[in-house]
Amino acid sequence: MAFRVQRLPSSTPMIAFAARVIAVVLALLVTALILAVSGHDPVDLAGQVFSSSLLDSFGLQDLGVIFIPLMLTGLSVAVAQQIGAWNIGAEGQFYAGAFAATAIGLFVPAPEWLGLILMVIGGFAAGAIWILVPTLAKAYADVSELISTLLLNFVAALMVYYVATGPWHDRMTNSATPKVKAEIPEFWGAIHWGFPIAILFAIVLALVLSNTKWGYEVRLSGSNPSAAKYAGIPVRRHLITVMLLSGAIAGFAGMLEVAGTVHRLQGGISNNYGYIGIMVAVLARGSLVGVIFAGAFMAFIQNSGIILQTEGLTTSAVLAMTGLILFLTAIGEELSYYRITRDKV
Amino acid sequence: MNQHLVGAVSSRAGQPSEVASAHSNESPSGQQRMQDEIPAAAPSPGTPPRVYLKGISKYFPGVIANENVDIEVLPGEIHALLGENGAGKSTLMNILTGIYQPDAGEIIIDGYAKQFASPVQAIAAGIGMVHQHFKLVQAFTVAENIHLGWEETPKRTSAAVLEARTAELAKTFNLQVKPGARVSDLSTGEQQRVEILRVLSRNAKILILDEPTAVLTPAEARELFRALRDFVSHGNSVIFISHKLDEVLEISDRISILRQGRKIATEKAADCDPRMLAKLMVGRDIVLDDMRGRAANAKPMSTEPVLKVTGLSALGDNGLPALHGLDFSLRAGEILGIAGVAGNGQRELSQVLTGVRPASTGEIVLAGKAMTGLKAGEFAAAGMGHIPEDRLHSGLAPAMSITINAVMREYGRPPVAKGGFFSREAAGKLAREIAGAADVAIPDFAMPIRNLSGGNQQRLVARREMRIAERILVAAYPSRGLDVGAINTMLRYIVELRDAGAGVILISEELEELLNLSDRIAVLYEGRIMGILDNDNLDIDEIGLMMGGRAHIGAGEAA
Repeated sequence: MAFRVQRLPSSTPMIAFAARVIAVVLALLVTALILAVSGHDPVDLAGQVFSSSLLDSFGLQDLGVIFIPLMLTGLSVAVAQQIGAWNIGAEGQFYAGAFAATAIGLFVPAPEWLGLILMVIGGFAAGAIWILVPTLAKAYADVSELISTLLLNFVAALMVYYVATGPWHDRMTNSATPKVKAEIPEFWGAIHWGFPIAILFAIVLALVLSNTKWGYEVRLSGSNPSAAKYAGIPVRRHLITVMLLSGAIAGFAGMLEVAGTVHRLQGGISNNYGYIGIMVAVLARGSLVGVIFAGAFMAFIQNSGIILQTEGLTTSAVLAMTGLILFLTAIGEELSYYRITRDKV
Repeated sequence: MNQHLVGAVSSRAGQPSEVASAHSNESPSGQQRMQDEIPAAAPSPGTPPRVYLKGISKYFPGVIANENVDIEVLPGEIHALLGENGAGKSTLMNILTGIYQPDAGEIIIDGYAKQFASPVQAIAAGIGMVHQHFKLVQAFTVAENIHLGWEETPKRTSAAVLEARTAELAKTFNLQVKPGARVSDLSTGEQQRVEILRVLSRNAKILILDEPTAVLTPAEARELFRALRDFVSHGNSVIFISHKLDEVLEISDRISILRQGRKIATEKAADCDPRMLAKLMVGRDIVLDDMRGRAANAKPMSTEPVLKVTGLSALGDNGLPALHGLDFSLRAGEILGIAGVAGNGQRELSQVLTGVRPASTGEIVLAGKAMTGLKAGEFAAAGMGHIPEDRLHSGLAPAMSITINAVMREYGRPPVAKGGFFSREAAGKLAREIAGAADVAIPDFAMPIRNLSGGNQQRLVARREMRIAERILVAAYPSRGLDVGAINTMLRYIVELRDAGAGVILISEELEELLNLSDRIAVLYEGRIMGILDNDNLDIDEIGLMMGGRAHIGAGEAA
C-alpha cells in the first residue's frame, strides 16, 4: 500500500486555519526545547509568562498598550493587501505620524481638545504623505512598492532620531523631546482610548470592503487588475486611494503612540511595530477582522519577550521566536494545499 | 457548402476494427517511404517499436488522467494523438517526456524499459517535445537559444562559432533558420522551426509536437509537414497532438484516439474519415453545422448598422501600431466573423472595440453614439458585452468567489448596488440566476472560481456578458480551450443572442466555426482587414490566402 502526496489548487479555510495553529504550536515547542537545552525550565517560564500577562491586571494593560500599535500597523499592511500592494513601509509611516503629532503637540498653541484633533489629522496626513511617492511611482511607473516603501523606513527612523536628539530634544533627557501638551484620555488602566478606536476601525473597514460598491471594486482590482479594468473599474485611482489609506493608518498608529502611550518623541519609538505589523497581516490571511486576533496574539508574544527578559533571556530569543512563527506559518500555508491520499491500486 | 468541415457525424461511421494496436499494423499512406521490401511501419518481427507505452495509468485527485493506455509508435511513423480537451493527451506526453511519473505501466524505448525521473533523462533517451507555447528566450539570438543548456556547447565560444554551428545544424536537419536573428524578431513559424531544431540537435529520435499548427498560417503548416516527413524518412518517429481532423488525416500514418483518459482505438489514417474520427473522439453524435439559419421568431437584421468603425488604429502592448485604419460596420442581428491567424491584431481589436484599450485614431460609433475616448465601463453601459480571449487573465478574478465574478458586470446597478452599497444578498441571487442560465451546477458560490472547469467558467462568462449585451457582443475565441460539447453550447449562445437582435463580432481561429455562424467574414492580417466576404459562395482557399496576407481581389489596395 502506497501513499502519495498531491497538491490541490486551493485549500479550505478550516485546513488553512489548522495549518496556522500547528505552525504556532510548533514554534512554541521548538522555543521551549531550545530553552530547555540552554538550562532553563520551559514549563516554569511558560507559567511565569501566563500568570504575569494574562492573569494579572497590570499584565493585561501592558498587553493592550502593545496591542494598539501592532493591530493598527497590521491593519495598514492588510488594507494595502486588499488592492494587491505590499506596504513594507508601515514602520516609516508610523515614524512620520509620530513626528507630525509631536510637531503639533509641541509647537501649535491650541486648547488640548483642538490639539488632539489636529494631532489625529496630522498623524493620518503624515502617514499618507510618507507613502505618497511609492504610491505614485507604483501607480504611474509600475515601480515595486516593496522596495520603495521599505527604503523610506530608514529615512523616517533617522529623521526622528535626529530631531529627538537634536533640535527638539529635551534638556533633561537629551534623548527625547519634551512631553507633548495633549494626551489621549485613558480607557482602562494604562490603556488609552486608541484601543476601542483601533478595533472599531478594523471592523468598519471590513464592513465597508464587503458591503459597498467601492469595496467590491477595490477587492476585484486587488485580485486581478486586468479583470477590473475590463469591468470598467478605475484601478489606478483605487490603488492610490487604498495605498494612501494604508499609510494613513500606520501614521495614525504612530500618532497614538506619542499622544497615548509615550507622550514624547524618541528615537526607536516604533519598536519595530511596522515590521511586526507585516507578520500580523500575514497571520490574519488578509482578513481585516482577523487582524484584531492576530494583533492580540503578536502582542502576547511581544509581551512574553519582555517578561522573559526579566528572567534573564536576551531580546534576540524573542526575535528568533517571532521569526520562527512566521517561517513555520509560511510553510504551513504552502502545506495546506497538499493532501495525502492512499493509492487506489 | 460547409461540407468540407466537420460535418454531422453519421451513424454509418465504421466501428474501430481494433482496440489495441499490434505489430501487424501497416501504416504508411505516404509515398515517401522506401525501406527496401519491408513496409516502413511494419518492421521485421525483431524490430521493436520506437516507443511502446504499455498500460500507462496516471491519477490526479478525483480524476483519471490516463488509465491503461497502450500506444506503440513505430520507426518512420507519424503517429497522431487525437482527443478532446481533457482526454489525457497532454498527461500522456508529460509522462513520456519525464515531467510526470506514471502510477502504473511501462515506457519501453527501442525494446528497453525506461524510467524517466526528469525531462533531462527523456531527452537523453532521444525524446524531444515542442510545446504549444515555445520555450525560447526572446532576447537571445537563434544560435544562443539552440545552444542554451546543451552539454555539447563549447565551453569557450563566440557568437560567430555558435552561429556557424547553428547554420551547420540547420543544414543537417534541413530546417531554415537565421542563426544571428533575435527570437523576438521572428514570426511564429520561424520560432517553431528554432524549437524543432533545438530538439533535433539533441539527437531526438522521437519528436512530439503539441498542436503545432495552431499558430501557423496554412503555408507555414505545409512547410512544417514537409519537414516532418523528411524527419521520419530517416527512420525517426513523430507524435503529433492535434484536434484538427483534416490535418491529422493529412499528416499522420496512424491515429490513436484518447477519450476520458483511455485509448479508444488506433487506426491507420488511410482507413479513417473525419466523421468517424469525430465520433470516436467525442463518443457521441455532434452537430457542428450551418447555424446561419434564423429561428422563426428571430428579430430580423437591421438595415442601419448598430456599430460603425472608421479608420480605427491602435497600439499594441509593445507601443507599436497593432491595428491600421480598420473600417467596418455591424448590423443588429448580424454575426461578423473575424478570421486570421492569432496574433494579427485580434486581441487589440477586441480590446479597442470594448474600450479596454484606447484607440490611437479613428472612430467607434455605437448605436449613433460616438464612443471615442470612453472607458470599458461606458461601453458596457451602452449595451456591449465582451467575452475576452483569455478569460482567466482578463475576464475573471480566479482567486475570488463565483458570486464576486458573476456580478462583475452588474454590481454597479440595482438590485446589487443600493446607493453606494453592495447588496450581498442581491449579488448571491444574481449569481444563482447566471449559473442557472449557464446550466452550471455549483455546490458553493463562495468557492474560488478557478476551481470550476474551463468550460463552466466560459459558460458563466458568456451568460454574464449576454445579459449586458443588449446591442453588441464581442466574442474573442469563445471556444478556445473547450471541448466539443462545450463549444457547441458556446455557439448556441451566440446564435441565441443574434436571434434576440444583438450584433455579434466573433473572433476565431477555427474557420469552420466562422463559416458555420457568420453572415460576413473579415480577414485580419498584420492589423489590417484584407477584405470582408459575404458568407455565400465563399471560397475557403481565398480566405486562406487572405490569412496569409494577400488582399481580397477587388477589395482595393493591398496591405
